[in-house]
Amino acid sequence: MSLIHIQDLSKHFKILNRRQGLGGAFRDLFSGDYRTVRAVDGIALDIQPGEIVGYIGPNGAGKSTTIKMMTGILKPTAGTITVNGQVPYANRIRQAQIMGVVFGQRTQLWWDLPVIESFKILKEIYRVDQATFDRHMEVFEKLVGLKELYSQQVRTLSLGQRMLCDISASFLHNPQVVFLDEPTIGLDVSIKAKIRSVVSELNRVRGTTIILTTHDLGDVEALCRRIIILDKGKILFDGPTKKVTSLFGAYRTLKLQIDDFDDTTLSSLREKLAGRFGRDHGVTVASIEELWTDVTIDQARTPLSDVLNFIMKTFPVFDVRIVEISMEKVVQQVYEGALG
Amino acid sequence: MRTLARYLRLYFIIEAQYIKARMQYRADFLVSSIGMFFSSLATLAVFWILFNSINDLAGWTFMEMVFIYAFYMIAISPMQILFDHFWQLRFHIRQGTFLKYYFRPLNMMFYYMSEMFDLKGLTQLLVGIGLLIYASTQLEISWTAARVILLLVTLFSAALVQVAVVLIATCAAFWVVDSWPVLGLAWKLREFAPYPMSIFDGAFRFTFTYIIPIGFVAFYPSQLFLRPEQVSPLVYASPLIGIALFALMYWIWTQGVNSYTGTGS
Repeated sequence: MSLIHIQDLSKHFKILNRRQGLGGAFRDLFSGDYRTVRAVDGIALDIQPGEIVGYIGPNGAGKSTTIKMMTGILKPTAGTITVNGQVPYANRIRQAQIMGVVFGQRTQLWWDLPVIESFKILKEIYRVDQATFDRHMEVFEKLVGLKELYSQQVRTLSLGQRMLCDISASFLHNPQVVFLDEPTIGLDVSIKAKIRSVVSELNRVRGTTIILTTHDLGDVEALCRRIIILDKGKILFDGPTKKVTSLFGAYRTLKLQIDDFDDTTLSSLREKLAGRFGRDHGVTVASIEELWTDVTIDQARTPLSDVLNFIMKTFPVFDVRIVEISMEKVVQQVYEGALG
Repeated sequence: MRTLARYLRLYFIIEAQYIKARMQYRADFLVSSIGMFFSSLATLAVFWILFNSINDLAGWTFMEMVFIYAFYMIAISPMQILFDHFWQLRFHIRQGTFLKYYFRPLNMMFYYMSEMFDLKGLTQLLVGIGLLIYASTQLEISWTAARVILLLVTLFSAALVQVAVVLIATCAAFWVVDSWPVLGLAWKLREFAPYPMSIFDGAFRFTFTYIIPIGFVAFYPSQLFLRPEQVSPLVYASPLIGIALFALMYWIWTQGVNSYTGTGS
């Protein structure tokens, strides 16, 4: 049986159309002018026990709304949802007992208390017996090296250490499912790797189902065999991560700052690239941020070094960054039929 | 009953740790306690100055005023000590940090309020108890067992009224972006509580009795001990008023908690 079963699930919000200015704000008080936002719009999915699923999509895609419905703090507008055979919103407290939640940027531990005291309080809250507690603390010690941090106040931990503590804490009561929301945000590469290995170990050892929301495709690639891409409240793709990474792993974006950038630079760059590499070259040009020109390259078709060399010779570039493809770009490509 | 015992146990575990952590900042604890001590006495100084030029306030003597004030200080202490986290609610709500309170298998108000235990409020409680003993000795109130029970019951219900009034105002944060005016008003109004309601004009007295019933925080219940012969029947209903207000407050809190997640992204 699926651990999480979702069928035709929707959540619509009524939002007041606000007017501008003080007069508008006053008229809003008596306004009945609502529009409906379909945050989640008829999704269906099943998650099996023990899976790690990457749940991704751009901001406003409906990820948090779905998670809030799975965790029982939001009631769906329509459709069915069951977690562990139960309707989550019917009993928030019962639901909380079988799940763990971690937010990337905010700790759920007690800010002023030493780490070990937070764990002891959680032991009481979730009614974890002493033997289980000791066993789990040993696992965390082996994976994370938690003992070293026991006496430190949570507020004095580094972001990475805190994240490791938060993740460990979310597994303490042996939950059926753990929701990890942006667990590696703002962390450097070595800590990211550590967190990924800890999460994958905990999943392996405990068999806990993990639902991971992230903007970092690297997290998904390292942890999840399955990926669900969401946009505008609908599921765009639900399938093996391999399929997505084999496609997008090849993409890199060159971010360029070009001297004397003006209205004609972008089109002239496009033309010259097309002239040099041909029309169907897997190179696209866009300018999303001010000052930066983005050149996205499909390395399977055109080597990045060739494009970079060509641009450096042709344009007065004074700064270059190479970044992995962004989530927004992936979604855009999926729309354009990349996974079709 | 088992739930209650579990929550009590949890509360002691959390607060013991919290107090231990606060005690590491000894200077902070000392300065805030001393500050609380003097601000508790400030209102008393106002009475003292006032009674240098007048003999009574709407028929109430200086020592009776001290008694009412002492009752008031004890009655507001539970809010100060146990519910002090209410100040932060509007920030948690605006910044989205309130979300974490949904994810534990606990009553949310309990979990939220347990994160703060205001030690300096203990100073206020002790000053209040000291003043109450002093004033009742001076006024020669005889403390029979029945009176002591009555005192405890009325203090409890007065504390409920105080908590309810302030928390209802706090809950405005669930619906209003800048809820400070509402909370500020409720906070300011409680300063009228230790005065005889009879000094207020009709409209104010009506408000403080029936609409924002801060009269029930100190003045009305104090009458049971100071002028039992003058007490209006409504005062005997004060435990019911306290419980009803607290229930109303909890209902509003629940509505707020339910509506809050509805608007998040």
